[in-house]
Amino acid sequence: MSVQSRQNLLNRIRIKKDLEKLTIEAFARHSNADEIVSQIAELSDAQQQFIYKWAELISASNHELGAQFVSLAPKAFTKMRDSAVQEWLDLVLQNFDNHGLGAAIAALENIEGFLEKAKIEEVQCSFSETSGFLQHFIRGLGGRDLKISSDLDTFTNTEALFLPEAVDLFPAPQENFTLYKLTAVHLWAQTWYGTWQHQILEAFKDTYNLSDHIEIFNRLECIRLDACIARDFPGLNRELQQFQLHDSDSVELWDSWRANSSELQEPNASAADSLKLIEKFSDIKLPPLQAYQGEMYLDRIRQTFYSRVEQEKAALQKALEKILEDNVGTENDAEMESLDNQTLELSQTEDNDGQDSNMNLQLTLDGQPVDMSEDLKELLGSIIQDFGEIPDSHMDPSEQGDYSDELLPQSNGEADNSELDLQNEGAFQYKEWDCTRQRFREDFCTLRELTVPPGDEAFIDETLEKHKGVLKEIKRSFEAVLGESRPQRRQCDGDDIDLGALIEAYTDLARGEEMSDHLYTRYKNVERNIAVMFMVDMSGSTLGWVNNAERESLVLLCEALQLLGDRYAIFGFSGRTNKRCEVYSVKEFNESYSEAVKQRISGIRPKAYTRMGVAIRHLGKLLQDTQARTKLLITLSDGRPEDYGGYKGQYGIEDTRHALLEMKQEGVHAFCITIDNEAQEYLPHMYGNANYAVIDEVEKLPLKVADIYRRLTT
Amino acid sequence: MVTKTIKNEQNFINDEPYYEPVGDEIKIFEASYENQLPILLKGPTGCGKTRFVEYMAWYLKIPMVTVACHDDLTASDLIGRYLIKGGETVWVDGPLTSAVRHGYICYLDEIVEARKDTSVVIHPLCDGRRLLPIEKLGELLEAPSSFCLTISYNPGYQSVLKDLKQSTRQRFVALEFDYPKPEIEQVIVEAESKIHAVMAEKLVKFGNMTRNLKGNGLQEGASTRLLVNAAKLMEQDIAPVKATDTAIAQALTDESDMLQAVHELSRSIF
Repeated sequence: MSVQSRQNLLNRIRIKKDLEKLTIEAFARHSNADEIVSQIAELSDAQQQFIYKWAELISASNHELGAQFVSLAPKAFTKMRDSAVQEWLDLVLQNFDNHGLGAAIAALENIEGFLEKAKIEEVQCSFSETSGFLQHFIRGLGGRDLKISSDLDTFTNTEALFLPEAVDLFPAPQENFTLYKLTAVHLWAQTWYGTWQHQILEAFKDTYNLSDHIEIFNRLECIRLDACIARDFPGLNRELQQFQLHDSDSVELWDSWRANSSELQEPNASAADSLKLIEKFSDIKLPPLQAYQGEMYLDRIRQTFYSRVEQEKAALQKALEKILEDNVGTENDAEMESLDNQTLELSQTEDNDGQDSNMNLQLTLDGQPVDMSEDLKELLGSIIQDFGEIPDSHMDPSEQGDYSDELLPQSNGEADNSELDLQNEGAFQYKEWDCTRQRFREDFCTLRELTVPPGDEAFIDETLEKHKGVLKEIKRSFEAVLGESRPQRRQCDGDDIDLGALIEAYTDLARGEEMSDHLYTRYKNVERNIAVMFMVDMSGSTLGWVNNAERESLVLLCEALQLLGDRYAIFGFSGRTNKRCEVYSVKEFNESYSEAVKQRISGIRPKAYTRMGVAIRHLGKLLQDTQARTKLLITLSDGRPEDYGGYKGQYGIEDTRHALLEMKQEGVHAFCITIDNEAQEYLPHMYGNANYAVIDEVEKLPLKVADIYRRLTT
Repeated sequence: MVTKTIKNEQNFINDEPYYEPVGDEIKIFEASYENQLPILLKGPTGCGKTRFVEYMAWYLKIPMVTVACHDDLTASDLIGRYLIKGGETVWVDGPLTSAVRHGYICYLDEIVEARKDTSVVIHPLCDGRRLLPIEKLGELLEAPSSFCLTISYNPGYQSVLKDLKQSTRQRFVALEFDYPKPEIEQVIVEAESKIHAVMAEKLVKFGNMTRNLKGNGLQEGASTRLLVNAAKLMEQDIAPVKATDTAIAQALTDESDMLQAVHELSRSIF
């Protein structure tokens, strides 16, 4: 026997002895124990150590399972990576804990099944991983802002793209990702290249009402949209080609459909052309859907489409009316009458291919070009997506559509307020801007300052625990702000000589003037001289998630602000009608971040409505009364201003805007952080273009609030 | 101290800088200049503000002094100071004083970056007086008719500490700049980088896609300058997607989802 083989034999004997000891003899009863031992002898030291360690641990719970593990471990190591073996073992132990020995041994033996599942998870492309990217990507492609959601079906309702939870058709993760992306692109293309324009939906209602029709239409549109994408996005087209169905039957069917619908691949083809071809294809066998193609659900499209059309029509008419009014001015009545005689026209110069994002719209009033706001342009873009043009009925400002934002006359509510008037002691009176009258209503709002009842302090600890990581990150970035020490020039005393000052002093001396003794530079943290008022929305709509996120944000912010030493106050606001406006003190400027403040933060609860103007006026006044070089009013909100009795829509927005303008004149900077996705419509108007931030996800609020605060004040 | 000063004798812009007019800004600048009104250029970064001033300096045949403002810029950095030479004190003009003395265009780039007290020294220059007081010398400099003060700032900054004071901004004729229309932008990208028209068109289209993302994850979309940078890389045989990734995507953001989105947008076009 050679030295080598003797060594091997000794090794095997040693391993067998060890394992028998570890599994308390259970391993010795195994039928082919010797063979397993020689397999284990082939493994690396680390792998052998792994087996030893776990054999001992598992055997402590169950000898049989320990022995089974030892017998299967060599196979597991040959079939998968070491880290995967650990995962496999974790699954086994989980099964043992929850379902007993039988399930654990079944899981042990099912190495192939485990591998397969792991493989799918490794290669699949899931919604949760991809949605963040897709949201940006689709927005970048252009057009109406589309939501991305996951659903059992793949389709679009023209406002959102519904995608499968995961795609795992291909062996490589990159391919699954590309397919997922192409699916989203194809749904986007339906909204962008006019698959669901008004006349198409009407035609489906009147002429093509069979379920077969929509199936044929879906295939024809696929041909047309593929051609559109090929023209505009060569890169996407390359990928689309790769993901066409490959089996010969499908290829043949799709080829024959394409050959018979060549007109759809022309640059000026529209969805209406696809409609016309439906009859022609009604008796021809349908090709299977392409992998990237979704279904078409007319009902779901109609539902969102028609309600959006109504809203946008009303919004456009309102905007046009405003343009007319603004251009008439207020000089005299004669001109007011001429309002009806003016003609508003919209001309549209399209790029050569007619489908480009760079559509140039020009609005003219009596032949004179009118400036259009970004909002108006976006609105027009969305309407063009729906109609292919701006329908004439939309352009008639006098025809009022049905829209929730209507201006309602302000109810004075004198009857029910008489009793409240008696209790006005200790209350503040504020004016309110009435945009219908273009006047202030003096002393219209009655506001009281209340305190938030203390809440459960455990919430604070839970929040700190939950957001431990985030808080650390916030604190670090805040510390960085503090760390930005800058040299203070011209000091009497300091770390270094201020050369500039010294030279100047020298020249003064040379010219016979008195020499200054301020000749040093000193590194000192710049004194921050900032006072901030946080105005927290406590309206009923914040119930649940939003309220929690608001409170969590405040906790994290307070913790971080302790570092900066900025003066800050926190107030909630809410109310019902102009006679019952309320602000809730959570923390005042001269109060420290005490236990009482913590309890109050925790006690913030949704109340009633959002009458913002009066709250801004009151809290702004408190802010003005504090001494600071920079004064900042930050609003945390979840929606537009709204209250009982007509304080909504334009009225509420205009009053809020007016209140903010008044603050601005007093040198208070206002900023709004909101989670309302529609905020783009009104926030730029209220706060100005650069003075607001929309947070997509409520969960991100705590981190974002702190981040925005840091950015605002550095 | 990084205050950038171009030597006065080199200030003449002899070759016509490439500039593509987007509206009547040349006419307005010229009219303001004739009327000795100072000019404020507003607009996002990289949309052509500085290039426009260079072009106007060439067009009006006046030398130009540029000061890139930073947060440590003091009034004496602009006006000037005494230095010592061989035991004697010598006064050295700052860039602003020098421009006023000779009747040049003085361009204060990104004025909001300068300390607030610094911007106040330009006030007497910007109204009817057109005077620059030099305290140390006990002099008042009266600006000659050819002197022109131009400042620029980017209103997109969200920091409240970097806002232009009303008392400053209300002294200027304001010209608003934005990214040019696609047709014009394409011409600019072509002219600046010598890239082929087809590629320039695609780049501009890509630029507009990134601008769709402004306010939704990106603070700013790709500027014309970035598009030109990418085009220059492409002209040196760097693959288009690589060029947009390095010259544009990475310059715009660090966030991984956004980087991936911008990367895929580029891939969808090229």
